[in-house]
Amino acid sequence: MKMSQNNSDKDSHASGNKNISLPISRVRLIMKSSPDVSSINQDALFLTTKATELFVQYLALSSFNNGSGKDTNTLSYSDLANAAEETETFHFLTDILPKKILARDYLKSLEQMQEEEADI
Amino acid sequence: MASSSGNDDDLTIPRAAINKMIKETLPNVRVANDARELVVNCCTEFIHLISSEANEICNRSEKKTISPEHVINALESLGFASYITEVKDVLQECKTVALKRRKASSRLENLGIPEEELLRQQQELFAKARQQQAELAQQEWMQMQQAAQQAQMAAASASAAQQAGSSQDEDEEDDI
Repeated sequence: MKMSQNNSDKDSHASGNKNISLPISRVRLIMKSSPDVSSINQDALFLTTKATELFVQYLALSSFNNGSGKDTNTLSYSDLANAAEETETFHFLTDILPKKILARDYLKSLEQMQEEEADI
Repeated sequence: MASSSGNDDDLTIPRAAINKMIKETLPNVRVANDARELVVNCCTEFIHLISSEANEICNRSEKKTISPEHVINALESLGFASYITEVKDVLQECKTVALKRRKASSRLENLGIPEEELLRQQQELFAKARQQQAELAQQEWMQMQQAAQQAQMAAASASAAQQAGSSQDEDEEDDI
């Protein structure tokens, strides 16, 4: 009667570990939604999860330290946006700044503009 | 929010986990809601970034599975080399925890008695129990028998005494 350790067991073990706070199963899902990514070694998953945690910490810290909200003890959207632009390793974030417009909303506003032009 | 849509691109780390991390990193700092939302999305972007890079490195190495090595190299090439020491430490910690758990479970299995032996012990116990029951039943039966015999004897002597008494009366009547 062997105790089998399936993936979800390992996930909960590692998340129960004080060193990792992010949900590993969700990280795996996000990784797999990347194009062409097939299989990921469990240890590689741990590494990625921890790296993501570090990234959040660094992003928050450097945005706050370089930001305009230090005096008022606040962290704003623009602090983050500025950090993304000024820090080279955060340049990849400029794709998602400013806020994403859903394609259908964009198309709708495009249609509206065309209608307005047709009316004139 | 993310889970209700079927679109893969909407997958994100749960907001609660991000909020907790922000709170731990910047205690006592007020963080605007749209800033939090942005951090959630940045997380997803980061994961995609690392996965794609690690995947490319993996393809070049002609291996099929993304390994820890691939992730570490991806971090390095993307400018996150400063993270490497710390992520490696966590990996070691995770392995140690997993190893301890495996040892614990196998120690438990080794203490355990193999199934055939257990079966044999069970049969022995059953046989013993049957024997004890049989002996008990026999004892009870013998006691009942004794009790019945005694009762019979008592009844017999009582009726004998009665008969003796009544025949005496008859004799007396005859004499008159």
